[in-house]
Amino acid sequence: MVRYIVKRLVQGIPLLLVISITLFLLMMNIGDPIATMGGRTITRPEDRERLTRQLGLDKPIAIQYLYWLAGNDWTKVDSDADGIPDKNGTRHGILRGDFGTSLVTRKPVTELIGERIPNTLLLMLASEVVTIFFALLFGIYSALRQYSVMDNIMTALLFIAYSMPIFFVSLMSMYIFAVLFKKWGLPYLPTVGMFDPQVGKTPWQVFIHMILPVFSLSVTYFAAYSRYIRSTMLEVLSQDYVRTARSKGLPRHQVVYIHALKNAALPIVTVIGLDLPFLLGGAVVTERIFAWPGMGRLFLDHVSRADLSVVMGILMLVATAVVVFQIITDIIYAWLDPRIRFD
Amino acid sequence: MKRLKSVLFLTVAAMLVLSACGGGSAATSAPDQPGSATEAPAAEKKVVTFSWTQEFTSLSPLYSSGWFTGVTQQFWNCWAWNYDENNEPYPYLVTEMPSFENGGISEDGLTITLHLRDDIKWSDNEPITSEDFRFSWAMNIDPKNIVNSTYPEDLVTSVDTPDAQTVVLNFDAPSAAWQNLFTGIVPAHILQPVYDAEGTLDNAEWNNNPAVGCGPYNFAEWESGSFARFVRNDNYFDAPAKIDEIFIRFVPDDTAQTTALVAGDADLGAFIPYSEVPKLQEAGVIILTQPSGYNEGIFLQVSEDFSHPAMLDVNVRKAVAMSIDFDSFNQDVNLGLVKTPGSFWDALPYYNNPPVEPYAFDPEGAKALLDAAGWVDSNGDGSRDKDGVEFVIQHGATTREVRQELQAVAQQQLGEVGIKLEILNFDADLFFGGYADGGPTYSGELDLQEWSDAPSGFPDPDIYYWLCSEVPSDENPSGANSFYICDEELDALIQEQAAQLDPVERQKTVSKINQIFHDKVYWIGVWQDPDVWAVNSRLTGVKFSGVSPFFNIAEWDIK
Repeated sequence: MVRYIVKRLVQGIPLLLVISITLFLLMMNIGDPIATMGGRTITRPEDRERLTRQLGLDKPIAIQYLYWLAGNDWTKVDSDADGIPDKNGTRHGILRGDFGTSLVTRKPVTELIGERIPNTLLLMLASEVVTIFFALLFGIYSALRQYSVMDNIMTALLFIAYSMPIFFVSLMSMYIFAVLFKKWGLPYLPTVGMFDPQVGKTPWQVFIHMILPVFSLSVTYFAAYSRYIRSTMLEVLSQDYVRTARSKGLPRHQVVYIHALKNAALPIVTVIGLDLPFLLGGAVVTERIFAWPGMGRLFLDHVSRADLSVVMGILMLVATAVVVFQIITDIIYAWLDPRIRFD
Repeated sequence: MKRLKSVLFLTVAAMLVLSACGGGSAATSAPDQPGSATEAPAAEKKVVTFSWTQEFTSLSPLYSSGWFTGVTQQFWNCWAWNYDENNEPYPYLVTEMPSFENGGISEDGLTITLHLRDDIKWSDNEPITSEDFRFSWAMNIDPKNIVNSTYPEDLVTSVDTPDAQTVVLNFDAPSAAWQNLFTGIVPAHILQPVYDAEGTLDNAEWNNNPAVGCGPYNFAEWESGSFARFVRNDNYFDAPAKIDEIFIRFVPDDTAQTTALVAGDADLGAFIPYSEVPKLQEAGVIILTQPSGYNEGIFLQVSEDFSHPAMLDVNVRKAVAMSIDFDSFNQDVNLGLVKTPGSFWDALPYYNNPPVEPYAFDPEGAKALLDAAGWVDSNGDGSRDKDGVEFVIQHGATTREVRQELQAVAQQQLGEVGIKLEILNFDADLFFGGYADGGPTYSGELDLQEWSDAPSGFPDPDIYYWLCSEVPSDENPSGANSFYICDEELDALIQEQAAQLDPVERQKTVSKINQIFHDKVYWIGVWQDPDVWAVNSRLTGVKFSGVSPFFNIAEWDIK
């Protein structure tokens, strides 16, 4: 298995290289980072000219990519914008672990991403856990009681949930559970941020500030997941081995949770495995609405300013996560279904 | 199964604790500041929460030109002079405003002398001296520092510091924009060693963690994407601030910001969309507006090389201005909260004198002007034409919703007089891209270009876009004149006012420019664009300036 993992990882390297070239070319056309550096007014021509040189944006795309990939500490750059290369650059390149510096904040990209990843993981993993838990609960219940009144009611509610856009769920939940509940004198939830400054950033504060964003994120995904679980469970429950298990007199929970669910889990694992790497990218809409300081907002803030270094850093992180999680998914496949062999 | 549950529970608990402790990555925080966000503040502390729709990019006045950074300067940094609620300057670090009368401005206008107060000090008790001013200027224009803008410091040729309280600024040519200097200074005693060691201030920790400042508040903490805290500066050289802590939360979504203000989760919000005003007022939130020099306007491209031939005729441009009902738009869409500005200097009554009125909505008059200019619908296709050329023009703007609404109205109303308008929208970073980057405003294809703008250094009335030297070309790719207008009379007047230090003389020159803008229809006002603030009614003493918004932040209090 180790050989398999090493082989897959090695295969991932050229793939990531191709992805990086594609993304870099696309990024070069998303806008002009200097255009918004003047604040509310247009960047002055003199500043535009100077910044273009100082930030190395006057170089051809291939050179900019080379610097991003391999750094520029081996060649002279024009540090004082007088048009003459005067000293060696300071960048080491992504191959040596240097993701570069944000053109907007001048902070290292690794620092910016490192600040946001824990917040994103906290939000996204919590919503993933809530989603999977309730999806299993509703999916299995519906499968076991196919076409019952409850199954029909749940099916209708899930379709409503699935069809609601996330921004709508977010804003409505905020309005109902924060504004209206407060107006009605009921216990209410906070609207934005991670904590109340009057109280401080305590675990309890973070927890109650997570409730609405987690709820908003979970509603849509949970609806989709539970329908998927329902259909796979229905398929498995009609199999001969489940009938055999029942006829052997095994307790119902053993039949459902051990014999049926484990076999129904294979396609579910595929879906979750595909979703997991994107958790790192955060939830752009939800993080924006609830002012949650995660990766989604970092991406949005910097893509709108054409901040190539940060956006490339985030995209490459997600691309790498996709490659790694695909390998992990394959390994879990084999654990769930011993018939699958790595060779 | 039990083990799995335990692992899950422990994981979530650990992440909550880690996140509460700063998310595993240290927030930028100043040493020796009382408390941090992870500690609960004492109950009696007065804390106000501001909601910012954009995060600062840097706190250093050298490294950010952003509005949201700039307005924090009055919390923790200090300017040579501040501006009051009437946008009038008053001395802050200096003893008096330099003038010809008090000798602060030399007769030839080439030397300006600042006399500093002798009681001003940094928050670490070090005195603020002329060396701090000289160092701030030198760092701004030093090419080793990748600062956002070197203006207006690059107008100064040298700075002399004959003593600790005297700063002498030397110019090659008189510069009327001198009041824009020293909007934020940096502490030489902290940053000079950094510059000496690293050869640049680009990576100075102070940029994002200005532990030493000079305002009524000290910077305490900044967690990326989440919040920033400023706590009262007990070493402040003026009357101490009444509120203990200012907590800024970054809330990028307008609707979420409104909800937070209504729910009482924020005490103050900025850049409130007009559509949200009734909802806020209904909830008891106070709305305050303050002119900040900005007006939404349509910049007309007038160029033999690029413009639609109809737009070269001044009467046709007048017809365009008369065909769009801006007043009704402002009444219906902007809820009557703003008016149609007639002048680019609408927010500067001193310079908009005599005041220029916008062209009145008069579609019949517009049709008559177009007919007289020879633009008639000769082929019956619904739009006017002349010599086989259809009257089809393009209107470009960013994707901001209210702009798109204006474009739709303009398209319909121009269509009614026989002008076909094509609408184009771009993200801001694309729209404002330069000539060399193929920015759409420089493409020569946008006859009408719309955005909100102000004089270069409001409340200074200076402008430069329309200078002939700013017309971009392959030889001059940095030119800012995306309208390709080179009007020699206008060019001479713009250059003249930039060097006039006498306000009376300058007022006369700007008035002439103002009149040319109106008569030749180089710019059409769409709506006044003042700063719109939403303020929780529990705050007292609240005043805003359009230049240094929080000029009296130390006087703010909570009921």
